[in-house]
Amino acid sequence: MAGAHTATYDADRATVDRMARGDTSALSDLYDRHARAIYSLAVRMLADAAEAEDVVQDVFTQAWRQATRYDAARAPVVAWLMIMTRARSLDRLRRRRSRIVATELDSSIPHPRDPEASQESLAITAEQADKLRGALGELSDVQRKAIELAYYEGLSQSDIAERLQQPLGTIKTRIRSGLLKLREALGGGAGPAVAR
Amino acid sequence: MTSMTHDELRELTGGYALGVLSDEERRALEAHLSTCRECTLEVRELARVAAGLAHAVPQVDPPAALRGRVLNAVRDEPARPAHSPKPAQAVRAAAPIATWLAVAASIAALALGLYTLTLRQRIETLQAQLRDVNARFERELQIARASADRANHVSVILAAADVRRIDLAGQAAAPQAAGRAYWSPSRGLIFTATNLPALAPGKQYQLWVIPPGKNPVSAGMIDLETDGRAIVLVDPSTAAQVGTVAVSVEPAGGVQQPTGDIVLAGTP
Repeated sequence: MAGAHTATYDADRATVDRMARGDTSALSDLYDRHARAIYSLAVRMLADAAEAEDVVQDVFTQAWRQATRYDAARAPVVAWLMIMTRARSLDRLRRRRSRIVATELDSSIPHPRDPEASQESLAITAEQADKLRGALGELSDVQRKAIELAYYEGLSQSDIAERLQQPLGTIKTRIRSGLLKLREALGGGAGPAVAR
Repeated sequence: MTSMTHDELRELTGGYALGVLSDEERRALEAHLSTCRECTLEVRELARVAAGLAHAVPQVDPPAALRGRVLNAVRDEPARPAHSPKPAQAVRAAAPIATWLAVAASIAALALGLYTLTLRQRIETLQAQLRDVNARFERELQIARASADRANHVSVILAAADVRRIDLAGQAAAPQAAGRAYWSPSRGLIFTATNLPALAPGKQYQLWVIPPGKNPVSAGMIDLETDGRAIVLVDPSTAAQVGTVAVSVEPAGGVQQPTGDIVLAGTP
């Protein structure tokens, strides 16, 4: 399974390389592999099918333009695409809210100078995604909502505190404790970080 | 905030992984991560969880028509320069910036040069104006001093113990004119006149002091004021001995001995 995964990442890298060379057929390969995940995240974040379609187009356009700048050492292609998806969706949410959210989106990528960070560390299998979904349902209400508002709506911690009517310190604690529980649900295959 | 403890910073790992920290918190945690292995590992693991959240949503198939739409949109993108290896790409990306910087710098230098030139011109103008103002001030100061000196001289003569009054009568050439002098042999002479007729261009009134039994001595030219009045101060060296005071019409600038019509004359 892990091997199959690595193969997917390698295929993705080769595809992005072809895109960087201007090969438009590479783009359709990438689309066929990831459009569903991209569209699903955008639908979840925007709750609007038409806008989600626009996000998919934005993400593939951006991927095409930035293929030469893609850095495999920083994140696997799928993580790169999902980060763009989240960023473009948050842009649209913000435009809707006309509210500035203090978010450094790229900070969701592990420390770039971290020598131990590897592609595998961001590897999520479909099975693990299922587990994660289940584990989200088992979190406390505040933990789950705080994480969802942060990740899917890009709210700042103070906005979340206001929305959930909880002290800011509680929100910080709940976000961390909730994510730690989700980490347990992901279990093995978490990469070299957990092995240590 | 500036001195957060390890435990406080560790509370931020979740928000960091989700990208929702304030800038201040993010900087504080990143500084901490450079020295704390424990927190670094935690951030890395939670970042993986965050990455997983992107996939932990209900999976929905996009509409079939979207594929063609997206691929066509990208094909309509302006052509990109052909691929080159990444380092070269980086250099190429940097080159336009460097070029731009060079252009910007040269524009800045040019603008600065022009600005300096403008400033220099402005300074020169101001310096010239300052010189003018100083010169005018100097002139006015001299006039004021002269005026003060005159006033002082007048008062000294008038207050002198040996002062004597000399009335000058209008002569045939200017019967309406009248003059008066105050003469102190030790302090000098003040001459005043009224109703002196205006003169033709090139002509000027000249004041004479004629010591008894001697030739006339020039006591100076008379600058006529608008209404025909005049005042002249004469040094005591010139007016030590006075038999007659007279005024004649002479070529502008004066002469050694009177040549023209006498308009005023009087004796002590």
